[in-house]
Amino acid sequence: MTPPATFDQPDTSILSIRGLHVRLSRDGRPSTVLDGIDFDLDAGEVVALVGESGSGKSTIGLALQGLLPAEAQPEISGSIRLAGREIVGAKPHDLRAIRRSLVRAVPQDPMGALNPTMSIGKQLREGGLSADEVVEWLARTGLPAPQRIAAEMPHRLSGGQRQRVLIAMSMAARPRVLIADEPTTALDVTVQAQILTLLKDLAREHNTAILFITHDLAVAAELADRVMVLYGGRVAEVGNTTTLIGAPLHPYSAGLLSARFDLDSDRSRQLGTLSSEQRRARPNGAHCNYVTRCPLAGTDCAERRPDLVRQPDGRQVACFHADRVPDLLAQSREAPAWPEAAAGDANALELYRITKSFGSGGGLFQRPRQTQVLAGIDLRIQQGECVALVGESGSGKSTLLRIAAGLLPPDEGDVSWFGGVQPQVVFQDAVAALTPWLTVDEQIRDRLRPLGLSRAEQNSRIAAALELVGVDPALRNALPSELSGGQCQRITVARAVIVPPRLLLCDEPISAMDVSLAAQTLNLLGSLRRSLGMAMLFVTHDLAAARLIADRIAVLEKGHLVEIGEPDQVISAPQAPYTKTLVGAVPRLAS
Amino acid sequence: MAAYLFKRLGGLVLVLVVMSFIVFCLQAIIPADPARALAGPSAPPETIAQIRTELGLDQPLLAQYGTFVRHLAEGNLGTSIRTRQPVAADVLKYGPASLELIIAAMLLGTSLAFILAFAQTTMRRSGAVRLGMLAAGSFPIFLTALLLAYFLWFKLGWFPGSGRLDIRRFTGPTGLFVLDGLLLGRPDIALNALWHLALPALTLSVPIAISVGRSLNSALVDVLRQPYIRTAHGKGLSGGRIFLRHGLRNAASAPLAMLGLQVGLLYGNLLIVERIFSWPGLGLYTVQSFASSDLPAILGVAMVFGAFYILMTMLVEILQSVADPRIALR
Repeated sequence: MTPPATFDQPDTSILSIRGLHVRLSRDGRPSTVLDGIDFDLDAGEVVALVGESGSGKSTIGLALQGLLPAEAQPEISGSIRLAGREIVGAKPHDLRAIRRSLVRAVPQDPMGALNPTMSIGKQLREGGLSADEVVEWLARTGLPAPQRIAAEMPHRLSGGQRQRVLIAMSMAARPRVLIADEPTTALDVTVQAQILTLLKDLAREHNTAILFITHDLAVAAELADRVMVLYGGRVAEVGNTTTLIGAPLHPYSAGLLSARFDLDSDRSRQLGTLSSEQRRARPNGAHCNYVTRCPLAGTDCAERRPDLVRQPDGRQVACFHADRVPDLLAQSREAPAWPEAAAGDANALELYRITKSFGSGGGLFQRPRQTQVLAGIDLRIQQGECVALVGESGSGKSTLLRIAAGLLPPDEGDVSWFGGVQPQVVFQDAVAALTPWLTVDEQIRDRLRPLGLSRAEQNSRIAAALELVGVDPALRNALPSELSGGQCQRITVARAVIVPPRLLLCDEPISAMDVSLAAQTLNLLGSLRRSLGMAMLFVTHDLAAARLIADRIAVLEKGHLVEIGEPDQVISAPQAPYTKTLVGAVPRLAS
Repeated sequence: MAAYLFKRLGGLVLVLVVMSFIVFCLQAIIPADPARALAGPSAPPETIAQIRTELGLDQPLLAQYGTFVRHLAEGNLGTSIRTRQPVAADVLKYGPASLELIIAAMLLGTSLAFILAFAQTTMRRSGAVRLGMLAAGSFPIFLTALLLAYFLWFKLGWFPGSGRLDIRRFTGPTGLFVLDGLLLGRPDIALNALWHLALPALTLSVPIAISVGRSLNSALVDVLRQPYIRTAHGKGLSGGRIFLRHGLRNAASAPLAMLGLQVGLLYGNLLIVERIFSWPGLGLYTVQSFASSDLPAILGVAMVFGAFYILMTMLVEILQSVADPRIALR
């Protein structure tokens, strides 16, 4: 552990990070997660920490609390000064005191973050609150009937309510710094906006600085004074929110921005994506972390590491070619248009009065409780058409997809496919949808066996399918565990379309992806369905994705189809009150 | 809660009725003649016929079953052929000794389970503990009993190897001698009873300690990785408090279920342990009944243990729902 470097901490800053390096081991192999972070946070300031999964953004949050997971055998060096107290190398006793009063965290998943066997009130009192203060703080987070909530056990509350409890728990300690690690990703869109507003208001009231960890630039734009973009454990770019989002200077920030889509994106063409999963091999020795994916990378990027350089407008960027980024952005706005679609008039899928209920409980003497999940759904998808099915969790959209796929029988109603051929499905968790011990080649080849093709014909079909989904044919003999999540999703798509189905069903295929990967997957699915003339049912909770990919949007609320129509019509003039709520809750960059 | 108890007790009655039917069928099928057994080998046929009438053995089977169930409902488990006493009276006489042994074994087993699980969860190198548990767990119970008796009684003489007390003919209000000694103001008797309990209770506790300990350890390892443990750390609580207040209670459910299962399996081990340590309880009583084909006694004790098992399961379920409010009793 190196001794903390001497540096002058600006008077206004509550938190100063200097030269922070963190190495964590996974399965016994150590890897550098944070690679020299320098950063200051002012009192009461809101800073968004933006980056994709694996960028090290959550590790910064944990390091600030001295809570790096012990099983990962963390090696940490550098300095973290919080309100004048050094955290790196602090004794456990001092760290506990710091956690009690100086730094608190609101976690990503409110469902797991509360002790299931302790009442809400007791968990809040553990932090040093009196019973009256508990009720007062619960009320301040906008929870109805705080007295009753305090007496409840966590499992009786909804996700949004639990997140409010956790915010109350953190803010009641009046910390100087609050770490909010993707606090809304596990919540429904309608709740997300309320939670963000609550966080911002409370922080302003108590002059608490917030480090807001997110992968979504639009969320960052709504909330933060400054944005810090993190890539591969290093700061790519830091700056004032409006400047950075208006004109990013690092190719990675530009990539995040161009790949991001919302309700105002151009849906007549594909999304602009600037980075690929892997463009070139990682060089040995010092190099820019982003060199493997960067569209601007030159030889200098593979030989030297760019430092953070202060720009005339005050922001800092770590890129040798920052001057070329604006051109790159302009170029990305001219993304290719969608290919011509081949449509027919026959129905690829016809759902007629689908009803489904699930029973729960029940026993020898008690009738099970029936919960109706789908109540008489009628839906037709024409050949070559894409219908997006949107709704919150629990609205029944995944159940409807499974019925349409023939994986689940409906209680009542009929499902019919064009030509009676069962459709193909692309699932949300691509890694789980692949058999772990079969190679890419074997997984795809299984679909060709019934066709009676020769071995050579099969090989050329597989090569063509991999080419179609943009996977390097060299990966044919790889196992799923050797591939990235994005590559796995491409393989599942290749497997589905190698024998082009009349109908492709997609169950939240992008919900677990970061922006650039999501954009690439949307481009892929949107192009494929047009060029192959497939009909598609695209289930998602993301209205912006639905609008981009689909010809029609169907809105599902508690098992009822409340609205169906052209995407722009549904979004600009929603008819059902539920649709209005959904549309209003989507964060927009422009606003 | 009331509805749950009502349901479970109803279930208890149902199980007892089914068991009684099986027991009755066994008695009817097995070609042993209780009348002849009672009368003795040299009795004249008239005496046997008379006993037959007294016992109702000349009645049709269904009527015999009716009588059997009526007797059961009155707490009459039949008459032991060996002791010539009502089985119910024998159960009351020998039951307390077994109950005392079971309680001691459960308390000892649970404490050992805690120690083992704690050592395994917190120690950096827990391989030795794990290996020791594996070795001890692979021993059959009679070997454990014999080894403990050989070393701790025969070689070292630390603990007695048989009986419940050094004093003969002691009787107390409850029949649990440790408790009786305390109630009667005779701590010397309580201590002496405890001293005698040591070896048989330790033997019986080994399988409990190992299975419950292993289950508690794996539950703890899982629970300590949960996000709410990080939340607790984030509040600045101390490690000990987090382990006790947030870890242990959430890990309780699986080991409790294991404890219930082990107590249910205790009956088989009880026969062996009471026999080896000459412990005058229901286990020894059953072994002796086997030797003299005393069917009413064997089946009566089996019914008592069946009921005991159901009550223990119920207790475990109640404890589980106390530990974890998400488990609803129904």
